[in-house]
Amino acid sequence: MPDYRELKAEADRRWEELTQGPRPWIRVGAAMCGQAAGALDVIDAIGSELGRTGADARVDPVGCIGLCYAEPIVDILSPGGTRLLFGNVSPSDAPRLLDSVLNGGRVPVDKAIGYLGPRVAGVPDLATLPGVGGQEKIALRNAGNIAPDDIYQYIANGGYGGLARALGEMKPEGVVDEMKASGLRGRGGAGFPTGVKWSFMARGGPPKYILCNCEEGDPGAYNDKGILESDPYTLIEGMTLAGYATNASNGFVFIRHGHDGPISRTERAIEQAYEVGLLGKNILGSDFGFDMEISLTGESYVAGEETALMESIEGKRSMPRFKPPFPAAFGVWGKPSTINNVKSFSYAPQIVSRGGDWFSSVGRENCTGTAIVCLSGDVKRPGMYEVPMGTRMGDVVEEIGGGTPSGRPVKMIQLGGPLGHILGAESLDYGLDFDEMREHGAMLGSGGVIVGDDTRCAVDMARLLVAFCQYESCGKCFPCRLGMTQLLEMIERIADRQAAPGDVDLMNRVGSTMESSSLCFHGQLGYNPLRSALVNFPDDFRAHLEEGRCPSGDCEEPLLAPRNTRAFAEEHRTGAAPIQVLTR
Amino acid sequence: MANEITLTIDGAEVTTTPGTNVLQAAMDAGIYVPYLCYYPGMKAFGACRMCIVEIEGGPPGNQASCTVPAADGMVVKTKTDGVTDSRRGIMDLLLSEHPHGCLTCHRIDLCGPNDICLRHVSVNDRCVTCPKNERCELKDTVRFLEMEMDTPLTYNNRQIPLRVADPMWDMDLNLCIVCGRCVRVCDEVRGDNVLTFTDRAGRGLIGTSNGSSLLESGCEFCGACIDVCPTGALVERKHKWDKAAKTVTSVCPMCPVGCQMTLEIDERNKLIRAIPDRHAKVNRGQGCFKGKFGLDFVNSRKRITRPIVRVDGEAREATTVEALDVAAERLAEHRGEGFALLASPMGTNEDGYTAQKFARSVMGSNNVDISSNMRPELTPALEEMLGVPAATNPIWDLEQSKCFLVVSSNMTEEQNVVAVPIKKALKSDASLVVIDQRETELTRYADIWLRPTPGSETALIGGMLRVVFEESLDDHDFLEDRCEGVKTLKDSLWAFDLTRVSPMTAIPAEEIRRAARMIAGGDPCAFLYGLETMEPGLRDACVRGIVNLALATGNVGKRSAGIYPLYPGANEQGARDVGCVPDRLPGHRPVGDGEARERIEQAWGASIPDRPGIPATGMAAAAAGGELRAMVVVGGDRSLANGDLGDLAASLGNLDLLVVMSTFESDLTEIADVVLPLATFAHKQGTYTNLERRLQLLSPALGAVGEEETEWRTLSQIAQRMGAAGFDHPDEASVFDEVNNLVGAYGGMTYDRLRQDGLQWPCLAADMGDTPRLHEEDAHGRKLSMSRMALADVQRHTDAEFPYLLAHGRVLHDPDRTMEIGTVKRKSVIVRDEVIEIHEDDAGSMGVAEGDWARVVSDRDSVQGVVQLTSPLPGMVSTTSLFGQMITDLDRSRDPAPMLGVDSLPLVPVRVEKIEPAAAG
Repeated sequence: MPDYRELKAEADRRWEELTQGPRPWIRVGAAMCGQAAGALDVIDAIGSELGRTGADARVDPVGCIGLCYAEPIVDILSPGGTRLLFGNVSPSDAPRLLDSVLNGGRVPVDKAIGYLGPRVAGVPDLATLPGVGGQEKIALRNAGNIAPDDIYQYIANGGYGGLARALGEMKPEGVVDEMKASGLRGRGGAGFPTGVKWSFMARGGPPKYILCNCEEGDPGAYNDKGILESDPYTLIEGMTLAGYATNASNGFVFIRHGHDGPISRTERAIEQAYEVGLLGKNILGSDFGFDMEISLTGESYVAGEETALMESIEGKRSMPRFKPPFPAAFGVWGKPSTINNVKSFSYAPQIVSRGGDWFSSVGRENCTGTAIVCLSGDVKRPGMYEVPMGTRMGDVVEEIGGGTPSGRPVKMIQLGGPLGHILGAESLDYGLDFDEMREHGAMLGSGGVIVGDDTRCAVDMARLLVAFCQYESCGKCFPCRLGMTQLLEMIERIADRQAAPGDVDLMNRVGSTMESSSLCFHGQLGYNPLRSALVNFPDDFRAHLEEGRCPSGDCEEPLLAPRNTRAFAEEHRTGAAPIQVLTR
Repeated sequence: MANEITLTIDGAEVTTTPGTNVLQAAMDAGIYVPYLCYYPGMKAFGACRMCIVEIEGGPPGNQASCTVPAADGMVVKTKTDGVTDSRRGIMDLLLSEHPHGCLTCHRIDLCGPNDICLRHVSVNDRCVTCPKNERCELKDTVRFLEMEMDTPLTYNNRQIPLRVADPMWDMDLNLCIVCGRCVRVCDEVRGDNVLTFTDRAGRGLIGTSNGSSLLESGCEFCGACIDVCPTGALVERKHKWDKAAKTVTSVCPMCPVGCQMTLEIDERNKLIRAIPDRHAKVNRGQGCFKGKFGLDFVNSRKRITRPIVRVDGEAREATTVEALDVAAERLAEHRGEGFALLASPMGTNEDGYTAQKFARSVMGSNNVDISSNMRPELTPALEEMLGVPAATNPIWDLEQSKCFLVVSSNMTEEQNVVAVPIKKALKSDASLVVIDQRETELTRYADIWLRPTPGSETALIGGMLRVVFEESLDDHDFLEDRCEGVKTLKDSLWAFDLTRVSPMTAIPAEEIRRAARMIAGGDPCAFLYGLETMEPGLRDACVRGIVNLALATGNVGKRSAGIYPLYPGANEQGARDVGCVPDRLPGHRPVGDGEARERIEQAWGASIPDRPGIPATGMAAAAAGGELRAMVVVGGDRSLANGDLGDLAASLGNLDLLVVMSTFESDLTEIADVVLPLATFAHKQGTYTNLERRLQLLSPALGAVGEEETEWRTLSQIAQRMGAAGFDHPDEASVFDEVNNLVGAYGGMTYDRLRQDGLQWPCLAADMGDTPRLHEEDAHGRKLSMSRMALADVQRHTDAEFPYLLAHGRVLHDPDRTMEIGTVKRKSVIVRDEVIEIHEDDAGSMGVAEGDWARVVSDRDSVQGVVQLTSPLPGMVSTTSLFGQMITDLDRSRDPAPMLGVDSLPLVPVRVEKIEPAAAG
């Protein structure tokens, strides 16, 4: 087994060749956001242009640098050390871009969004861009900078320094202590201290499991997938550290079936980690061994609930178990298991290599580190941004996101995922902080922020979220299975201006039954979006209920493709498998 | 951990054991907490949220009490306003998609049970459209919650068509509340996974796990899903709408497990449902297709209700007095050893005892046996080697066994409930070795399935013993302390060298070693054998081999180990105990033992012949040969006619006198001189002894519909008419008193003591307990003896007309082969081509090749299918049919008691004929 110094030296050598060699290095943002914007076509165009001109350059599809609004982003490092990022590149731009780099042609300033390193005339410094400044990148430090299929690039950028330190000079308890000192709170949404969770893992030897939850089904959340697409190594290192800290021998990365980019990149990264001896037996020459694999589930939101996820890994229908027993004592296959979100694991390498105290200096005292915000909806610059915890929501929406494209005032912010809340404009003053949000009756959740301007209808937004929660209920516990269905029918009636006078009271009754009695968070929190909409946007509801109109007109459109929440008979008659597609 | 914890529930102190959940603790203490998805005896599921409670100092809010382990000092409140409100909220939601006309119709209190519905409620929602009206747990819960039934939630009937195409059961998904009990019982308890959850969210329901029918999902039709269903979603089809007027708990007469069943009887004196008793120690709420769906034969209108007397070849109905007179008069002419009595395995111990007493003391003949006693060799070796001719351990011990050796037993069909704990253990970490030529349900679970050359089973077991000693896998201490004859056995094992055993059995030596290691390594290991495929002459040696192996591995006299002989008849153990066999007197005393005979003779005041009589297996031949002149045959079950006993009707035609006691008409009642109607189990009081030596009390559930009477009363009447004393017992309890005076192992038992769960013999005195496990300690210093083994050459099957042996197997599910579910007269049927497996060496002489169609013909019936050259043994033909096919046939059968005639699967001599695919049709 190579030791860390040899690996690092090899990685540095390769990195130097990349960054200071004679060839230009072209990085194309090809995460989901980039691909959706046509990054693969751009890569093809660059490839054929290189082929046509016979020029030599290295092209790497990379992850998401965060500026999703500007995708496809082409990031060109010239042999002279100039690094220019071009945004919204189309395949037809390829000749111009390459000409400027390879032949010293004119820089297409219209496409350039910023430079890094030596100044380029007529182009802004990337760091001064509103979408880049004000960020503090820890988990996303490598996103968009390294190729997600080359482990040496990760190592050259400080990767595996944390694991090397842990295996070299720390005891497992030391790693847990470092995590505790960092104050890192679980980023899955609940905000439970990660170090404390690791310390709960039952004593004793394997089999014990480290599970990573990348189900990420929240509409408007893509930071877990973003990390896996941009820098899967940081997750692998983080999980390996968790394995070392808790004396566990196996890790499962649980990814939702259909997230093809994250799946294939993580698969490749795991393979590479095995190839260079960073997974498997005797990692970095130590006695410690750790194995990892990917586990996929069908399309089920509730499969992201930690116990349902374990059922799913075991090959069963993903329905939540009851707790206790908690996973730390009785997890996958009844063995002790520790489960964390992708983001929580991704902080661990930096925490261990730079120290928990360093991490706790970022953010707020009781809520340390950064928040990775997925900004979408009515904002000028939707993207994936990493800001210190405690940052004002308004700063994120207005400074980084650039406010609404229409320039109209922000009316609502949907925060915390589909089980979260629909907040009014006053939430722009809230800090991104688990506790502060809780004080305001909201949930920070896992980072999805959807902005709506004042042309949006809160009833429509609520209906969308309720429809999601209804469709995604696993059907196990009665309050959730039956309650969500009733709620959806009622909110649809309201949106359709057909509501009965008592429907709001009835919704409250059903909602409180769900909240008090459901088995898992899905049912317990499933009424949140609707209740928060009722509380924060009474005028919208009044218009629908009393005046028979939708102020914005959003509710005029039917919500879903033809479907009926209870249409059983047909498929039971035909025996056909029921397939229901949630489409707008 | 303390063995007891105390918590407070609703102010009352409740004591329970650690690990019990709060709900169960409350119920055990008589505090009712409503629940719908929980089911006692199964793991908590936590779905219905109806059992929510508040726990002081526990986590805030409502906690589902089924999922909270009781803890010392816990303070639980089950009836706070918040809890009740939440429960009503959930129930409102439930009723928003469950028809509830039964609760809201204003005529609920006015309608009588047989009134015609006056239609105040829409058709789908009427109380009369629910088969479980007033048996519904949901309805009970609504009433407990004192609901106002005025929820403004929108009600939606699901409008799903009923599923009524499968055999035996109906499924109405409109009534399903998705509690998942059926899915869980099928998975957790039965291990079949036939049912599953389907879809999700508001459309989540249950359904069959593979395809659209139970027939293709591997259902064993045990009915456990029906028993646990809280609503009318899953019900038995027959008597679906009938309401019970009373319930009686009795014992199932279908097999020697002796499941306790709660029999529901309606106002018309019909048995409408049988529900395995959840509290019974013997079956713990489990049953099988025979007990669940086969007991209503007692209702049949084809039952014989009046005696028939045949005079000069003319049969006519007679009064009971007249028939008894004729029988007594004619029997008196046939005293002596020309008389034989063939009793029924469904007879009680009282019946069996009286039968053998009648045969021996009144008729002076030891020719008495029960008609199911096809394999009398199952127990004598047990008695000789271990001292007791019966199974050593209780059935549910098997749940904790770590290994099983099953020798030639199709127990999932023949003694179904024995297989329930086995399948459960296999699901965790136990291993299974099966020796059987047939493919059965258990071979599918087997870690090692050995298919030895027919007749070489004993050699195989000897080979395993040889490996056990060779590799020093034996339990040295146990052999040293508890056993004798170890050296004799070891010496005799020299012959069993694997280089000889392996070719003899056609099983690779390494397989034999692996099996031996698995058995020796499984601590504890249980040994179960039926010897259903073995020739009579080979069975005794095989039992000796099994006992030797159990002793060598130290698996006698401890929990979850032991030896279980598996015979077919319900009360076969009891019949043996009370002497209803040709060679033993009551208490297993050999007929030839003068001292024992004298004691019985004294008790009876009559003399007993000193030679063992003719066994059931020999009676047909003896009758045909003229050795027997007169017989009393009890029972009309198919075992008398299905060939195991030979062509009984033809042979018995030779008799001078045939008296038949029977429930149904049969070939025998056609030729009998006197036919006396026989009461069924459901009419009887009395005791059965099951295969784990448990005596259980039958309670009469049905009143008589005609002149039918139990065996013991009829025989006593005849005996009295013949002038015999000692046949004047007023009731069954009095007969049982006489029995337990003579059968020492029953000595301490009385009907009162048997009432709950019964007792496992030996129970020697009234102040002594029973004996769940035998040989736990040295009984009077008696050593357990091992038996010498001899390696006998395998006699190849030779028969000119039927030159091959057919191993016909049956499994629940065969995912490897394509099948379809078709519909005939709106009923599901299995559509698939059977496969005839033959050995490649035989293909030439049979004149068939792979892919040809062939018909396999025995002297009884034939099967046809596509030829595959995959049989492991030359000379053996095998085929595996589906259990679903048999159930479909039974469901369609016009036989008044089809489940009594479920065929066993012996090896049958056959010939193979090539046929054209067109002929296969």
